[in-house]
Amino acid sequence: MIKKSLSVVTLVLCCLALVLTGCPKKTVMKEEPSVSTADEAAAAAAAAERERVAKREAEERALREKELKARDEAAKKADAEKEFEKSLVAKKYPGIEGEVLESKMLKDITFDFDKYDIRPQDASILKENAALLMKYPNMKVQIEGHCDERGTIEYNLALGERRANSCKNYLISLGVPRDRISTISYGKERPLDPGHTEEAWAKNRRAHTVVLSK
Amino acid sequence: MKKMRRFFLFILCIPFVLPFSAEARVYLDINAPTFVQIPIVLSKWKSMDRTPPSLTSRVYEILKSDLTFSGFFRVIDVERLPLSLQKKEGIPTTVVLQEWMPSGGEILLAGDTALESDGLHLKVRFHLFDLVEQKHLVGKQYEGQIQNLRAMVHRISDEVVGQLTGEKGVHNTRIAFTQIQGEGKEIFVADFDGANSKQVTQNRSINLSPAWSPDGKKIAYTSYLRRNPDLYLVDMDGKNPQRFSDRPGVNASPSWSPDGKQIALMMAMEGKTEIVLMDNNGGNLKRLTRSHGNEASPSWSPDGKNIAFVSDRSGSPQIYVMTSDGNNVRRLSFDGSYNTNPSWSPKGDRIAFCARVGGQFHIVTMTPEGTGLQQLTSSGNNENPSWSPDGRYLAFSSTRTGGSKIFVMNANGFNQRPLTSSKGGESNSAWSRRFE
Repeated sequence: MIKKSLSVVTLVLCCLALVLTGCPKKTVMKEEPSVSTADEAAAAAAAAERERVAKREAEERALREKELKARDEAAKKADAEKEFEKSLVAKKYPGIEGEVLESKMLKDITFDFDKYDIRPQDASILKENAALLMKYPNMKVQIEGHCDERGTIEYNLALGERRANSCKNYLISLGVPRDRISTISYGKERPLDPGHTEEAWAKNRRAHTVVLSK
Repeated sequence: MKKMRRFFLFILCIPFVLPFSAEARVYLDINAPTFVQIPIVLSKWKSMDRTPPSLTSRVYEILKSDLTFSGFFRVIDVERLPLSLQKKEGIPTTVVLQEWMPSGGEILLAGDTALESDGLHLKVRFHLFDLVEQKHLVGKQYEGQIQNLRAMVHRISDEVVGQLTGEKGVHNTRIAFTQIQGEGKEIFVADFDGANSKQVTQNRSINLSPAWSPDGKKIAYTSYLRRNPDLYLVDMDGKNPQRFSDRPGVNASPSWSPDGKQIALMMAMEGKTEIVLMDNNGGNLKRLTRSHGNEASPSWSPDGKNIAFVSDRSGSPQIYVMTSDGNNVRRLSFDGSYNTNPSWSPKGDRIAFCARVGGQFHIVTMTPEGTGLQQLTSSGNNENPSWSPDGRYLAFSSTRTGGSKIFVMNANGFNQRPLTSSKGGESNSAWSRRFE
């Protein structure tokens, strides 16, 4: 291997020498040769050489920068993952089997009274949730459908079921596999805000996503 | 339940005259849109032999509370009697009924208690008199163990109500309900008036929608124990909880068929709830509804032919009815944009439900054709009506005094009162059959 590359280098050097020595000969063969044009040609060759070097250096620099940027992005991505990992908080519901993880990065969406359709302003939130889910192909989540305290226990159970499924279907439409999303309706049994005001009710009519397994 | 059976064997009933017969006069037509309460005198009860007076006064207080709770009587107790009558205790003879005229009552309920020498068995005797016509109506004696005193006295109250209104009372019934405990809700069972409250579930989970089996032995309910609202069955005393419907998603709002063989419930299917039917062992699942709406809260008609339910297929939740095989669906409610929780009266003549009126939720009744609407409540949020087995009362939850409490009212909306011992945080009431 080493021998072969050595001979290749020698060959290249010979060719280079031939070219360099051959050039003046060519100019001499021209009809009106002059010393000044020969100097200019030499200067031009030197400039071209400098340009080549500069170009090569620029290319190398760009490559380095690209590598750095990629490394930076990877670090950022790792940070984001770390951020998501960090954001996960284990939560145990009393009297309910198992434990779930909650993250502020999986955002809630809210609904209008007695409605289960996803409002346009909430679609972008679900898109963010979907993007996060796509980054973790093994993660399984559960969407909880919740209602405000108004209306009957049983009808609210039905409404919560529908809200959770609206979200699930939207995430599926964004490419999240169906088998990674389960739903549960808590009706009006687990309000986020125990108050009895319009403000509290608006907070409580929500779909909340929890992580079942990573 | 074994205990219950044993205890009823121990209560002996000895009638002195035939209990009310077909010819018996009905003193109060409770089906009239308005009625005047019967003024009934509750004279001082006598402690026979060495019976402790405290025992007799317990009997007296339970009777007084029962008769008041029934809503049919204006009770004139000892303290409201003229001085001359306050000291008269025990059972008078018809000959001296004349002297009770100044009491202001139309009916006299008199009696005595006798504790047997073993200190464990009790005899309670009562007689009922018509003071207007000056005649004896009925007399009975009950014998039982002292620990069953409340049940014995409730039977006297039932008898008095039967004599005077044509159908005996519901004093030996129970009401199941849920109560907030920590972050969860547990199921409790109490006497019809709220006394003797006992916790049925003890799992710290969210437990909802208790429903008595028609034989009164079991309660169906929904629990989140396994991170899914599954349906369970439990004995009345909390023993043998069994999961029997656990399809992913909602399994809730159970309603027993009148023969106890089937349970209608709401179940999640394809991302929304439907009304389904299953055998009482969880088998033989049959889907009854098929619409694009949410379906909830089935309630059987007492003849087992129809099921009332909620559907929002029209855009808002409304009451519908269908035959119990899922056919012939008809909409019953048209007023307002939020009508839920139908409950079919055991007499079959009314359906109670929860309606949103002016931003609040109220108990309303209507005929099974959707006509003759009557709003029965007027303050707070009132939900989840449940009929007593005689169809004369409704239990429901109300927030009129702050936190949600179980209230009871007469079927015409009169005499609304919270269950005694209510602490707040109660909802989802369900009235049992009579235990006799």
